[in-house]
Amino acid sequence: MPWLDDILWTYQTLIHSLGINGLLALSMYVVLAAGQLSLGQAAFMGLGAYTGALLSLHTGLPFALVLAASALAPAVVAAVIGIPTLRLTGVYLAIATIGLGEVLRVVYVNAGITGGALGLNGIPGRTETWMIFLALGLALAGAFAVGQSRIGRAMEAMRSDGIAAAVMGIDRAAGQLAALLVSAMLAGLAGCFSAHSASFIGPNDYAFETAVTILSFAILGGTGSPLGPVVGALVLTALPEVLRPLQDFRLVFNGLIIVLVVLFLPRGVVPWRMPRLGRLPRGMAP
Amino acid sequence: MFAQQLANGLVLGCTYALFALGFTLMFGVLKVLNLTYGFYCTAGALVALAVAGIPGATLWLALPAGALAAGGLAVVVDTLLLMPLRRVRAPELSALMVTVGAVLLLTSLLSMGLGTEIRRFPPGMLGTGTGGAVVLGPVRLAWSQVLIIATTGLLVGALLALLHGSRLGLAIRAVAGNEDAARLMGVSVARTMALVSFLSGVMGGAAGVLLGLNFNAIQPYMGESMMLHGFAVVIVGGLGNIRGALLAGVLLGVTEVMVAGYVDSALKDGVAFALMMLVLWLRPAGLGGRVVAPRV
Amino acid sequence: MTKVFWGSPLWGVLGLATAILVSPSVTAAGSEPLTVGAIEALTGPASRYGIAIRDGLDLALDEVNAGSGGAGGGVLHGRTLAIRYEDSGGQKESAINAARSLIGRERVPVIIGPTLSNEMFAVGPVAVERKVPIIGTSNTANGITDIGPTVFRTSLPEADVIPVTLKTAQSRFGVKRVAVMYGNDDAFTKSGFDVFKANLDSLGFDIATIETFGAKDTDFSAQLTKIKDLGVDAVVVSALVEAASGILLQARQLGLPEKVFFIGGNGFNSPKLGEIAGAAADGTLVGSPWFIDKADPVNQTFVTAFRQRYHKDPDQFAAQAYDTLHILAEAINRAGSVQSEALCQALLQTHHEGVMGLFTFAADRSPGSTAGVVVLVMKDGRFSVLQ
Repeated sequence: MPWLDDILWTYQTLIHSLGINGLLALSMYVVLAAGQLSLGQAAFMGLGAYTGALLSLHTGLPFALVLAASALAPAVVAAVIGIPTLRLTGVYLAIATIGLGEVLRVVYVNAGITGGALGLNGIPGRTETWMIFLALGLALAGAFAVGQSRIGRAMEAMRSDGIAAAVMGIDRAAGQLAALLVSAMLAGLAGCFSAHSASFIGPNDYAFETAVTILSFAILGGTGSPLGPVVGALVLTALPEVLRPLQDFRLVFNGLIIVLVVLFLPRGVVPWRMPRLGRLPRGMAP
Repeated sequence: MFAQQLANGLVLGCTYALFALGFTLMFGVLKVLNLTYGFYCTAGALVALAVAGIPGATLWLALPAGALAAGGLAVVVDTLLLMPLRRVRAPELSALMVTVGAVLLLTSLLSMGLGTEIRRFPPGMLGTGTGGAVVLGPVRLAWSQVLIIATTGLLVGALLALLHGSRLGLAIRAVAGNEDAARLMGVSVARTMALVSFLSGVMGGAAGVLLGLNFNAIQPYMGESMMLHGFAVVIVGGLGNIRGALLAGVLLGVTEVMVAGYVDSALKDGVAFALMMLVLWLRPAGLGGRVVAPRV
Repeated sequence: MTKVFWGSPLWGVLGLATAILVSPSVTAAGSEPLTVGAIEALTGPASRYGIAIRDGLDLALDEVNAGSGGAGGGVLHGRTLAIRYEDSGGQKESAINAARSLIGRERVPVIIGPTLSNEMFAVGPVAVERKVPIIGTSNTANGITDIGPTVFRTSLPEADVIPVTLKTAQSRFGVKRVAVMYGNDDAFTKSGFDVFKANLDSLGFDIATIETFGAKDTDFSAQLTKIKDLGVDAVVVSALVEAASGILLQARQLGLPEKVFFIGGNGFNSPKLGEIAGAAADGTLVGSPWFIDKADPVNQTFVTAFRQRYHKDPDQFAAQAYDTLHILAEAINRAGSVQSEALCQALLQTHHEGVMGLFTFAADRSPGSTAGVVVLVMKDGRFSVLQ
């Protein structure tokens, strides 16, 4: 069916973006669910993209290993900035992660191997559509499984009431660090997929605006369930392609969504809560 | 050359401190990391630019106009976005998120309306001509730079006097220390907070005007691009610490200039982050500040 | 009626709607219009380039359809030429989506654009994959046409303009020792620097120091103070106009001697420089593929028509785009079809007398001649051709 191939070819980048942005939204969700705010998701994504692209360009490693390395590199960096900041209040992590994006940009620009301001060209197109959606599916399933477990309840406790969490014997900083590491890995994975889909990456692709856009995915979808952010990402990725005028106002729109949702719909536009067997979450009437 | 570089660093450091004064005050008292602060700086510069376009207007009209307009804007933003969250005692990260969205919204709208081209004040606004400079031995300073150093010193002094030498300052410090206790002692918390918002906005706006005057690059993103340095000053100096902000600003400015002048200019942009991470690892309270510990 | 794509009548309707939307001025008595694609940054920070390009293309489009070329209106014996614009916002991802949609859905035979070199690096491979000729009108970075055999550009790369500027500085002003400054976090200014560096070396200049800054920087005092002590004849700068103005102003503020002048890359080539930097910019040299006051009749006709239509002055981006559409229309007529290989061959045979002077393509599909390059000098806030 050649016409189907044509549709797929025409919309390939968009289809890839849907899945990649879904992964990024999920990575944001993991941090938010633990009661922290990271503005470094774009930076983690960039680190994964550069790691993956460099490995593909300079080594013959199989793609699975490239993906693994792209997930690990941002996790290491996340540990370096997470360990000192998570001992303090939430704003410290937010500030440090904003700074991270800026400093990584300086590194990409100055390190010879990263191609400086010109970025990296000719990255092989190793990303297949099914890989992105398989990863997204696995990550979603994982997030649901964790949400159902003891860890999920612990995270909810950390988010809503630190003292209750302490009573439950939860090490808040350790739990939040773990969430940050997982989040960095997901973002790094998404970055690696995107680099091998677009064939070209540059140091200015992972700036503050990208981070805020990722935040808007998660906030639109709400953090009640891991599915929310993914739906948020799908909507905000597809909408500007369908409604052309929206494209001009993309950043304004993303900003507006964050403001309106936080003020008026603190649970997000998709108000699903994770189904919990046995008991209802606190504060929710049956 | 060394003396000139030291002067360059001092001036640059004063611009950072000047920019961060309102930011750290807002952070220290309102307990909100308000990312729209950079936008107040831009707004102040743009309003002053519009006023400067009026025939016969001087800096002494444009500067207060820009500063007051930014102060007003700060109160509006605080009332519309942050008050509702304070009322329901929303988590501190909700407030941060709202300002993240607001800053993207505001700067994007502004750049769509005005374009991203840079603008400058009409030359000679200081009444000294374009080439005017103060020469002190081997050091040359432009009048705009002298003005920045003087304003920074003046504002730090005035703020300290206000906070530690007046009843109003006592009220502000009471709210910063413990909101509920302050309320019990008869302090109008809402009014004090609005006032602090206004003061921070005024300082942000004034900083924007002076930065615009000195660097001749007024554009919608000028405040946002100062924010990273603002964070670094606030963290290195200690949250809400006015003296710390001055110290941290100058330290940052001098370090950047020395790195660029004697090591490699390519490393200059990494200095702010490096200093910030170093302080977070070694002395999270900042060089002269207090720890804001988790509320557990 | 346009062709029905993908066997669905819906796309036919869309295609027809498109054809109506994009060809409001049907002057040529043709059958169906021939629609080419254009991807430009029409919104966002890069829109000042994209809009200038669209203005230049539209002006030339009407001339082609009105038959200014002599052989009746339109192309291919009377078919109206139309342009289907896609806005990239200067974002490479939007640019790729636009290219895929133009090629896969609209079936355009050729694409003009995209605006930024970065976008071309992302979009070029997509066009090459489908063997669609793509013509950059504003991409000056190195390696653009290396992307693939259907990638052309009509913009003179910095590599062709900068040597002319440097040789002029050497022969006319006796410049020997220079300091270099460049914005290291922007693809445009970095590749400008690479070209400066290579040519400074090959022309035997003595480079006293190389300093960098970021595109968003506003303070250049540390770098300029260092340069002031090195006793250079000139400072070579690769920067966008924002940083360039700041550098010029701060250099004079710090007391860099008046006789030390600045040599700029293409980023300096903007009226904004004189507007912001004023007297501090006096003496600045910059090379340009085109200049508004060039006296030849083709250029004067263009400038007059542009001013009449848009009530503003054209810039080099509008001029390059204007020439490009004429070059493309001529090539389509020469090829007799819009079939990829025939069109590429026809483009390579271009011999067009345009506003940038005589235009030909070199074998690498970049401009073949630098004869049109002029060196400009700044005086009292305005550029003029160095006599």
